[in-house]
Amino acid sequence: MDFALYLRYGPALASGFAVTLLCWFGGAALGLALGFVVALLQRLSFAPLRWLTRTYIEVVRGTPFLVQLFVLYDGGPSFGLRLDATSSGILALGIYGSAYFAEIFRAGFNAVPPGQVEAAASLGMAPFTILRRIRLPVMLVAIVPALTNMLIILSKETVVLSIITVPELMYQMQTMAAETFAAFETILAMAILYWIMVELVARAGRVVERRVTAFMTGAA
Amino acid sequence: MKLQVTLDAFPYLLEAAGTTLWISLLGIALGQVIGAAVCLCRVSPLRPLARFGAVYVSFFRGVPLLVQLLLVYYFLPYVGIDVPPLVAAIGSLGLASGAYVCEIFRGALTAVPKGQAEAAQSLGFPPAAIWRRILLPQMLRISLPALVNELILLLKASSLISVVGVTELTRSSHTFAASTYHPLEIYLTAAFIYLLMNLCLAAAGAMAERRLAAG
Amino acid sequence: MNDAPMIEMRGVSKSFGTLRVLDGIDLTVDRSEVVCLIGPSGSGKSTLLRCINFLESYDTGEVRVEGRLVGYVEGNGRRRMPDRALREIRRGIGMVFQHFNLWPHMTALGNVAEPLIRVRGLAAAEAGLRARAMLGRVGLADKEGEYPARLSGGQQQRVAIARSLAMEPRLMLFDEPTSALDPELVGEVLQVMRDLATEGMTMMVVTHEMGFAANVADRIAFLDRGRIIAYGPPRHVLHESTEPRLRQFLQTYHERNNF
Repeated sequence: MDFALYLRYGPALASGFAVTLLCWFGGAALGLALGFVVALLQRLSFAPLRWLTRTYIEVVRGTPFLVQLFVLYDGGPSFGLRLDATSSGILALGIYGSAYFAEIFRAGFNAVPPGQVEAAASLGMAPFTILRRIRLPVMLVAIVPALTNMLIILSKETVVLSIITVPELMYQMQTMAAETFAAFETILAMAILYWIMVELVARAGRVVERRVTAFMTGAA
Repeated sequence: MKLQVTLDAFPYLLEAAGTTLWISLLGIALGQVIGAAVCLCRVSPLRPLARFGAVYVSFFRGVPLLVQLLLVYYFLPYVGIDVPPLVAAIGSLGLASGAYVCEIFRGALTAVPKGQAEAAQSLGFPPAAIWRRILLPQMLRISLPALVNELILLLKASSLISVVGVTELTRSSHTFAASTYHPLEIYLTAAFIYLLMNLCLAAAGAMAERRLAAG
Repeated sequence: MNDAPMIEMRGVSKSFGTLRVLDGIDLTVDRSEVVCLIGPSGSGKSTLLRCINFLESYDTGEVRVEGRLVGYVEGNGRRRMPDRALREIRRGIGMVFQHFNLWPHMTALGNVAEPLIRVRGLAAAEAGLRARAMLGRVGLADKEGEYPARLSGGQQQRVAIARSLAMEPRLMLFDEPTSALDPELVGEVLQVMRDLATEGMTMMVVTHEMGFAANVADRIAFLDRGRIIAYGPPRHVLHESTEPRLRQFLQTYHERNNF
């Protein structure tokens, strides 16, 4: 392996990494926000809305991310959505993530013991206060592992964006692979880089999990 | 929206969906074999074997599938093996799902109460018989829902092999999208076919689960 | 202050599907009275209690607290009262649960201060002061910084009582407050409740602690299959009543506790 190569491609790789992070964070933020709204809508006792959100979740979870990406990026102009590759990619990641995040939030809401909500209600707390001060914190603690897992899945999906020419890390790596004819070595470097990154995120997730659950399990 | 475009492409997309389906099935079949082998490594008392199992699972679950796919695709010629992209793709799906299947098996194994194997041992069962008669049947029942789920994930992930030139559903729709200038209609049709296949698989899985539970 | 009774229930009934859990309950509780509800499990004691602050809705009849109809709009059939009005009523009624229901992500002090801030609108500093005083009152001044998971069941229940008391309720409801506790922790909770009764708090207590009922209650109501079939001073209900189902209930209770 020729390390001088990596030096020459350094700036491109660095900018690719920045775009990867941008897509990851942007997609995750969008997915969390959308997913939370979907989860809240599901809790309303309005049947058509529940049916609609259920369909949304099933459709997004039942189709490949790549196809969703094509629908948005290639198909977007047909319904007036003209976005550049990176914006399309972030939007697609957000939509894809939202369905899974919605399911995680739903499970989280169900994990809040009803008694803790009743106690708040019996003290005269308003529904929104109960949501903000009781339901959300208790639920968030319960779903930390699932959230970390989904964030990792999203980080791995960002490489798919290279297919629609989003200039993220994978795209830059492939460009480098093609120009240097060192395809295997380049992809191997990419694999190892991702492996390390995912392990780090997973570890960080476990630390956060221990921190936030420590006081609730009496281990503090 | 032009319905005609969809109608014209539909038979071809359906045929490509068939390819997607059997590639996924082959992939999960290979994944079962690899997964079982890696699982045996992971639970092995031999430290190096257990270590290998853990690293295998960590690598194939940590690295994005697209990267794995290209890794296999470029690795084979690198070591002088010349196989069609299709074989590389199926192998890649099998390697990746092997990591997930390994963890499913491992979970199922720990779910079978330890006392049952001990009871069989105390009755003088040979180890192979304990696996075949006591552990495996129960592991299958316990792991079935997770395996069906894994198959569905793999079916969706198989869309990525379009990148190495295998003509499955995603690549076929990509071709049609470009040639008809109606990408939205074509991709929505493809999405619909994927959804349909997944719903059918989920339903079949639920049915098999009921059968096993009843039996 | 009006001179209506603290609680007034008239013909209150409730069904879960075909099961009639409350069947024409009439009950009046005056100010500073302590009423214990006893009866076999499934007799409707907890449901009755939960109707008083409308955690459970009732199908027919009326529940009034200090003269105010609970849960429904006055003179308008079964139309639910607005949330805001219901919260207003609930503020004056403290409730203590079998499983404490402390909020696990807040310290003991946080649990007591939270409703003061969010419902009473007190500033954090003032709420903290009052919460600290309340914890002192239930003997937990030294535990204010602990999270519920680190407290014993008895301590958790005392925090829960402090949380309710801090809101200065005019009525306290206790739903089997000692049933989830280890036997050696029951005493500390009952002592807090006894002190409250002495101070003149109006209390309604669902309990299996016959000793507490006998010594502290002004009246005892015995429920069976959704009906009050014996009601009166402890001496009357526990010793003089000849109601067969009550005798059988007390018989079982004695057998279980005299070994």
